[in-house]
Amino acid sequence: MNNIEEKLWDYIDGRCAPEEQNAISALIDEDAGVRLQFEQMLSANTSFTAMELDEPSMAFTYNVMEAIRTENARVPLKAAINKRIIRGIGIFFTVTLLALLVLVITSVRWSAQGLSVNLTAGFKMPAINYSDAKIVVQAFVFFDVMLGLYLFDAYLRKKRAARSV
Amino acid sequence: MQSKVSDAELIAQTLTGNQAAYADLVKRHQRFVFTLALRYAKVREDAEEIAQDSFIKAYRSLASFQGQSKFSTWLYSVVYTTAMTFLRKKRIATDSIDDEHNFVQIENQVSAYDVNTAESKSRSFYLQQAIGQLLPDDAAIITLFYKGEQSLEEIAQAMGMETNTVKVKLFRARQRLKEKLERNLKHEAKELI
Repeated sequence: MNNIEEKLWDYIDGRCAPEEQNAISALIDEDAGVRLQFEQMLSANTSFTAMELDEPSMAFTYNVMEAIRTENARVPLKAAINKRIIRGIGIFFTVTLLALLVLVITSVRWSAQGLSVNLTAGFKMPAINYSDAKIVVQAFVFFDVMLGLYLFDAYLRKKRAARSV
Repeated sequence: MQSKVSDAELIAQTLTGNQAAYADLVKRHQRFVFTLALRYAKVREDAEEIAQDSFIKAYRSLASFQGQSKFSTWLYSVVYTTAMTFLRKKRIATDSIDDEHNFVQIENQVSAYDVNTAESKSRSFYLQQAIGQLLPDDAAIITLFYKGEQSLEEIAQAMGMETNTVKVKLFRARQRLKEKLERNLKHEAKELI
């Protein structure tokens, strides 16, 4: 940077220390060349200050607000679900499982011959017909395997789609 | 007389869900944001897209605005990054904007005006034209300094640069703008004769 020009711009912008300001002011008064340079820079500075701002289209604010409204309306279901509901369901299942676990543990009779479970009075385990249950279990396992394959396929598709973007 | 609501108050209202308050913020800053975007995009349609995207991004991350700097400084940094992303996407070589070819094109445009048209052009028109011939960063710094009421430190913050770099860039930008303005006005004088 040209030293005197830099100083003159600092002087115009009011970024000089008081002593420096006085020194430059004196230099402008004494040196005709510096004075001419200063006047040219001051004139340019006045022109720059008069610079006009451009105007966007009339509907600009409306367009911005409309885009924001549309974006808000398009919130994905994942984000729209109330997290408290999910947490509530989670707590319900956890408490149920824990209660069952406590019930089972307290009902176990530990003995040297082995262990037997005696659930509290009045609670009867449903009688299971093992010939029917076998089919139900097979169907259940088949359904689980199919569901697992379907979900795995959906996961792989999603991953591939994300990679191609 | 109703006092002007500050940016901070409008931000607080927006954060409580009052979208009308954000619309007021947009109205307040849209001219400057659009001008700044125009310094990079050079085309009105693109500049409008950048300005619109900037306001949407600013709305999305308004909660993260700490209030440690002026809202305008923070908003201009959003405009700057949005413009950079936009230009990268459009693969515009920003460095070539100031080249000789473009300058000749603009010169020819000026000489195409007849004397009456040239007479009616204000100094402001030639200033805008000269700014259009600057490098985007130089044009943005000049605009931020003169019209954005931003200090060198704030410009540095908005553009992610060192304050000293901004100072040097501002110095050079003013020199270039002065030269180009003189050149354009000299051309206008020739046209008038």
